[in-house]
Amino acid sequence: MCGITGYIGEGIALDGDADGTGGSDGAAGDGGVAGVGDIVHEGLRNLEYRGYDSAGVALVGASSGLTVAKRSGEVDNLTVPDVPDAALGVGHTRWSTHGPPTDANAHPHTDCAGDVAVVHNGIVENHEALKAELADHEFTSDTDTEVIPHLIEEELAADSEADLLDAVRGVEDRLEGSYAICAVREDDDRIVVARRGSPLVLGRDADATFVASDVTAFLEHTREVTYLEDGDVAALSADGVDIYADGERVERGVETVTWEADAAEKGGYEHYMRKEIHEQPEALRQTIAGRLDVDGGGVDLDVAFPPGFLADLEEIQIVACGTSNYAGRYAAQLFEELSGVRATVEIASEYEFGAGRSSDRTLVVAVTQSGETADTLGAVRRANAAGARTFAVTNTLGSTVTREVDDTAFIRAGPEIGVAATKTFASQVATLTMLAVAIGRERGALAAADARPVLKGLRDLPGAVQQVLDNEDAVREAASEYGDSEAFFFVGRELGVPVALEGALKLKEISYDHAEGFAAGELKHGPLALVTPDTPVLAVLTDGARADETMNNVTEAQTRGAPAIGCASAGEEYGTLDVSLPVPDVGLVEPLVANVYLQLFAYHVANDKGRSIDKPRNLAKSVTVE
Amino acid sequence: MTTDSVTAVILAAGEGRRLAPLTNRRPKPMVPVANRPLLEHVVEAVTETAIDRIVLVVGYEQERIRNHFGDGDDWGVTIEYVEQATQLGTGHAVLQAEPVVDGPFVVLNGDRIVDSSIVSGLRDRARDGDAPAMAVTSAATPREYGVVTLDGDRVTAIDEKPEGPVETNQINAGVYAFSPAVFDAIRETHATGELTITATLDDLAGSEPLSAVRYDGRWLDVSNLWDLLTVNAGLVDEATAPQTAGASLGESVTVADDVALAGNVRVGPNVTLGGSTALGSNATVEAGAVVENAVIFPDAVIGAGAVVRDAIVAGNARVGPNATIAGGPATVVVGDAVHRGVELAGVVGDNASVGAGATLTDGAVVGDDVTADAGVVIDGRVESGAVVRRG
Repeated sequence: MCGITGYIGEGIALDGDADGTGGSDGAAGDGGVAGVGDIVHEGLRNLEYRGYDSAGVALVGASSGLTVAKRSGEVDNLTVPDVPDAALGVGHTRWSTHGPPTDANAHPHTDCAGDVAVVHNGIVENHEALKAELADHEFTSDTDTEVIPHLIEEELAADSEADLLDAVRGVEDRLEGSYAICAVREDDDRIVVARRGSPLVLGRDADATFVASDVTAFLEHTREVTYLEDGDVAALSADGVDIYADGERVERGVETVTWEADAAEKGGYEHYMRKEIHEQPEALRQTIAGRLDVDGGGVDLDVAFPPGFLADLEEIQIVACGTSNYAGRYAAQLFEELSGVRATVEIASEYEFGAGRSSDRTLVVAVTQSGETADTLGAVRRANAAGARTFAVTNTLGSTVTREVDDTAFIRAGPEIGVAATKTFASQVATLTMLAVAIGRERGALAAADARPVLKGLRDLPGAVQQVLDNEDAVREAASEYGDSEAFFFVGRELGVPVALEGALKLKEISYDHAEGFAAGELKHGPLALVTPDTPVLAVLTDGARADETMNNVTEAQTRGAPAIGCASAGEEYGTLDVSLPVPDVGLVEPLVANVYLQLFAYHVANDKGRSIDKPRNLAKSVTVE
Repeated sequence: MTTDSVTAVILAAGEGRRLAPLTNRRPKPMVPVANRPLLEHVVEAVTETAIDRIVLVVGYEQERIRNHFGDGDDWGVTIEYVEQATQLGTGHAVLQAEPVVDGPFVVLNGDRIVDSSIVSGLRDRARDGDAPAMAVTSAATPREYGVVTLDGDRVTAIDEKPEGPVETNQINAGVYAFSPAVFDAIRETHATGELTITATLDDLAGSEPLSAVRYDGRWLDVSNLWDLLTVNAGLVDEATAPQTAGASLGESVTVADDVALAGNVRVGPNVTLGGSTALGSNATVEAGAVVENAVIFPDAVIGAGAVVRDAIVAGNARVGPNATIAGGPATVVVGDAVHRGVELAGVVGDNASVGAGATLTDGAVVGDDVTADAGVVIDGRVESGAVVRRG
């Protein structure tokens, strides 16, 4: 949830060919040089989606020493001090876990003397105990992080021969929890970093080195990256990196990032979320590309299970959080229907490998967009410890989850920047549907003839989603007519339930309105008491969602005066709906297409209210703490 | 901002009603040829010059354009957008760019494919302060365009689609070089009620030097539906390498040399893909089908055994098994005009579904969202959203 970045080098010459666009960030004029502070600041902007309630930088120069600037608020609120001789710098964008978002709690944190500065992503679980041991140190914040610079100070004081690298290695042994840290020190021309449990990636350029929580921070400067492994400590200089694991010098491979950072730019759209909603047809085309054999009734996900594993499979457990969890709920029904395997969905933070199941006959499927979600990684580790086979469905190549599971299927949705997940939900469900077909076919539980209509639905999904997007004006009108209501209820049955839950989540995430999703049958068991003429009901009325029965429940709500907005299969619209939005015929994935209407509804309600759509309050894109 | 760098302003706000039903859901500049929108071909002609800032004037169905081009990084340029809320005319469209253009600039049409040489020619005029200037080219049917009267290299008059006989085949190529002074000139012309850029140029030609840049390179206009097939055919033929990487092809598939396949198309066994054909992203051609001289948009499905010749099948449309668009010259009606002997046998609009064994003949144009039952014979224009039943 926090993001860290660092740069060490002599600055970067700006494009000097007078392109007429000027330096859009005002960092420096054309033909000038972006200094260390500018580069770190820019890296923070690129990481802002990871968290944004405070930001700060620390710069070190040969004569200027250590300069720290930090404050609460968005990255653009931060004024980076002008330090002309700065040779290296680190920065941090924070999302509060310990202590409120104040200037004091913002990173970097320093030691008593102000010689050492640290930025940190993760949680120091034993920070209370460590703080007690550091009783003679002066603490200025409520954060868990602040113990780290003081521990470094102690290590340095204990051994006059010790340098920053030695000190960080010493401190590492005393920290419990998950972290990625970057430490700098006055009179030291290196950045020392350590990783355990939180992501950290290094970038190498000809005469500069970058470090960040995510490659997007520096992708415009270099594509040559090295992923650190848990337990690694590295010393970064302008000419290279030295990486240590368990006290030994180690080499880590260099990978070339091939995806485009520009896909992460907003382009012509006012919000990433709307851009990403509109990118769904293309994202889905990528998701299914080369994977569907419609005629043969097969799927090629390039995954090979051990012989006999699928035949003996007794249970598929899906572990995920938030929107990914709803994608998992959609998939669980398909695993039972298409793969013929009992399937359960667990909230990753609550997951334990419970009694009564056989670990070698259980497949645990982790669904995480970023591949870094701490709760989901924790669940994967518990599943691995129990001996279950693990499988990841993720959007992020090289992410932590891919290294911890036995097999991975990538959803290929491209980078998603808006905090509210949209295109990744669609691509997750499409990928999981293919997985359900693949497992069903391989186990002999699904005949080719029964697989074919599902695969046709997937093939037709991108075009169907485009049709819904072409109908955006109808949703915009509904949003403006009903957006000011007191509360919103989303209902569906079967595959419509996860979509109702997701529709409600989207609306509450970005519009801050009260929204709830229910199984339609549950409406009469309680929530109907909340229904009034000022609480619109949004219903999924498609194939795979028992539309007629759901419509009965919608009518119950309409009887109490609630307006009804329904996403109904094209040609089977219900005349009694106040707003009817047609869903093209794609079979079992129709509820997924209906979801696009609900995304647009949430977007337009929030946009009409002027909400901060891409960065809703209190939320971060990638939640890397438990 | 430096004043000697030249910006390209590309007009892409128009609807392109003559290309309906293809333009019912996308602006004309987003109609694909050789699997890329017309506008992308224009943008590439610009980026091949040293111009690195493009302003797109967008309006009708602009999300399609913003979605495709984003901020321009994929093309190595900066792309900005200005909106022309109502499409009042080309002069009005250029005027929308005034707030973001304060130096010399060139103007192009987003739906005319040209070579980069014409762009660099006018860029040089703009940069050297030699504006206004306009490109002229020769056309076989000049009366359909703006006919340009020249005195040496000076333009003396522009007659938009003149009625009577014309004495020259030189026409306005639709690429211009301007300085910001043109914005005032456009406003003056507007005061007289004329909103086209050619009206302003005609006004200018009478009072100050308006120079012509002669151009005899590629100038491809998709005015009518059938032009899409010829323009597509020319561009897929130009491709230097077979564009079939990544496509999934079944057994015994025949693919002509001049076929462009998007990376994720699916082609079933025993399919014949004849020449002058483009298959868009995620399109499917099922077993045994024959597709020739055709533009197939993304997500479309051509059913098993279908024959699709001299035809356009738009996005997510379905051509049922054994349906036939046999090909050959046809008579196509556009508005009140009847065009005989054109090489366009049939058009299937976005999301339309043509049932199994149905036949499109004699230039049939099936609108978007049309459902045509199995076995029907369609030979005229079917309005969008209609249901065609047998009997």
